[in-house]
Amino acid sequence: MAMTETEVDEGAGPGAPGLAPQVAVLPDAWPKGTDHKFIGSLFVAAALLFLVAGLVLALVMRAQLTTADASVVGARTYRQLFTMHGVFSVFLFLLPVWLGLGSAVVPLQVGASRLAFPRLHALSFWVFLAGGAMVTAAPALSDVFHGWTLSDPIPVKLGLRGQGPDLLLIGLVLVCLAAVLVIVNVIVTILQLRAPGLTLRRVPVFSWSIMVSGAVLLLSLPVLIGAFGMLFVDRHYGTSLFSGFTGSRGGNPLLWPRLFWFGAYPMLWALVIPALGAVSEIVSTFAGRPLFSRDRASAALVGVGMLSFAGWGSEVTNLHRGRILFILGGLAVLAPVALLILNWLATLRLAGKEGDVGALRRRFAEPPMLWALGVLPVLALGLAASVVSALDAGRDAHLTYWQVGQQHALFFGAATIGAAAALTFWGPKLWGRRLSSGLGVLEVLAVVGGTLLTVLGMLLLGARDMPVHTPVFQSGEDWALGNLIVSAGAAIVGLGVLLLLLDLLSSILGRRGRPAGADPWGGQTLEWATTSPPPRHNFDALPEVRSGTPLRDLRIAQRGSTASDPDRDPDRVPEGAA
Amino acid sequence: MSLVTVPATADSLPVPASGQAPLLLPTGEALPGPVPGRPRRGTTTIGTLLFITADAMVLGAMVAVYFAIKDGSAAWPPKGVHVGTYIPTMLTITAVMSAFSVQWGVFAARRNDGRNAAMALGLTLFLGLAMANLEWLTFVRSGFGFNDHTYGTLYDLLIGYHLVHLLAAVVVVLVLAFRTVAGHFSGDRHDALRAGALFWQYSNVVWFVVVSVLFLASRHG
Repeated sequence: MAMTETEVDEGAGPGAPGLAPQVAVLPDAWPKGTDHKFIGSLFVAAALLFLVAGLVLALVMRAQLTTADASVVGARTYRQLFTMHGVFSVFLFLLPVWLGLGSAVVPLQVGASRLAFPRLHALSFWVFLAGGAMVTAAPALSDVFHGWTLSDPIPVKLGLRGQGPDLLLIGLVLVCLAAVLVIVNVIVTILQLRAPGLTLRRVPVFSWSIMVSGAVLLLSLPVLIGAFGMLFVDRHYGTSLFSGFTGSRGGNPLLWPRLFWFGAYPMLWALVIPALGAVSEIVSTFAGRPLFSRDRASAALVGVGMLSFAGWGSEVTNLHRGRILFILGGLAVLAPVALLILNWLATLRLAGKEGDVGALRRRFAEPPMLWALGVLPVLALGLAASVVSALDAGRDAHLTYWQVGQQHALFFGAATIGAAAALTFWGPKLWGRRLSSGLGVLEVLAVVGGTLLTVLGMLLLGARDMPVHTPVFQSGEDWALGNLIVSAGAAIVGLGVLLLLLDLLSSILGRRGRPAGADPWGGQTLEWATTSPPPRHNFDALPEVRSGTPLRDLRIAQRGSTASDPDRDPDRVPEGAA
Repeated sequence: MSLVTVPATADSLPVPASGQAPLLLPTGEALPGPVPGRPRRGTTTIGTLLFITADAMVLGAMVAVYFAIKDGSAAWPPKGVHVGTYIPTMLTITAVMSAFSVQWGVFAARRNDGRNAAMALGLTLFLGLAMANLEWLTFVRSGFGFNDHTYGTLYDLLIGYHLVHLLAAVVVVLVLAFRTVAGHFSGDRHDALRAGALFWQYSNVVWFVVVSVLFLASRHG
């Protein structure tokens, strides 16, 4: 939101219009209204605000749990913090950050001048913001649910009177609706507005991942919309679909967690898939060559998307029928992720063989690549923890800190670090300035190191059977060390995120960063073939597209007939280049 | 076709590979590239189709809850509840008629026959309002309330879900009817009309699902 404020400052200022410097971020170079880059950036800005909010709540919770018998907050407040931390992180940070990055970057990547439905895009943002405001205001009215799954205790009308939960549900419905509208918009853009020559197989891997993730969200978010709607009806109009403790009136209390996770489990994976796509894009760009196997990377992303629907039961407790299926489903979805990691490593290995290792190392010190490499250990730890978690699927005593650690590594850590990678990679394209390389190293070290520390502490606590919803622990239990580690890790993550935000602010508003130029990273795809920031219509002209990496083709063609070019692939050289 | 050399500083990209300079207006501003600004045909229809997919999942969640609760109940519908099939049958017949009339409108517009298209959409609107009227009767005459029992809740939710879609479709077709009269659609330009008709058909599909769930697969115990 900070971006809009300056915009007003500069736009409404007395300075003569049209005298903005060449690389000015605002107002001339960055059109407002229905421009997809502007609305996308608004989504990202709102998401970052909610990231900070979620993080602050987490730090208060950690302050309570750092030492035994602490009394920073009471049990009731702790439950509210716990709920809102989860809701903020998933629905108001991870979801909009990908919606924003996706809608800002995808049209550039596929060589389109706009999204398919620009005004719908603007409407989506304001619907999202209204929903987000309702969600934020909900706990002020009355106590909201216990936990972000809204299922603990099973949502009966007992206990939680007041308007808070109702407002939360309406807000979440609006947020999910806005997400569905953005996704429809972006997928139609990829299907209908691609540049000539850019076949579906040649669509850049990040856009591809956004499309896969969008397809998953298109099938999973509506389930949540239906579930939230029915829960709202239950609470507000006194029906009993999800309670069933009143005897003759029917209803099924076991239904809620199943319905919720049927939608939420694929949704969580859908929030990781764009991170996988962004890392694929960044690894391939900084390696200076196409991915080891682009087709297998695309297939792996589709595999994650499809298999994510098979594992929803692995987060549900008291599930006895069909447990084995969910164990298999929960394990199967990990396989394509592992294959994708191997694909990245193979790409880097090939780059090392083909090129100058020293030059590669220097390129790898750029912030986006550091963030992308930072995803690897967190993702690996999350995969390992998920194997154990999946084997434990459906158990009654399932909800220990092991699950918290697993979810924070896989669904939150990897996705958030991936989002930071994407933001530092495409950010300079969107606002025309680079971020600080020196700060970048510190940020990555703090966020990745802190996340690893937090997750390891959580897994340690899980191994010692600390239940998920513990608001305070006694000094007699052996949970002190684990909790101390988690708190320390969380504090370090907070520091890292603070640094990243300062870095972003100084680059965007302070205009401290070096101008990015059209192509700061030696990119291979179409978004680097226009100025940074791009004009309102994105491209004055498009290079010819004859492969998935048109800009790399141009570069090779330029080196052209100077004989022996090691990474020259006869299939990819544009016609007439020789 | 020869490639233009790309200067070492990539800043001077983009360079069109075909060698032609960017189109410039007299003011010196560049025009958008020729193709990307122009979406392929059928964009609105594809967008509608995707939205319908998402919408069907909401219906799916409600149907899943219906069957889960039904399977856990001793008697379904509960004792003393009798829902007639007369009104739902009339509604189904009307829905089928409207499916044909709205498609008639699309075909007429495709043949540049604005007169028939407007008539077809008018008829569709009439049938739609008739359906809404019948639907209202099913609420009023059901003989049970929204929160008397879970059957009543799901009955009203499912039928209400269709009613919402029906009313939305009526608004959409109303706008499209005005646009037809204004001559917005022709043989090679009727994407919005096709998308609106698609939504109308989807609204009918919602009804067929609801009627199957509530009246065909309902009884046990």
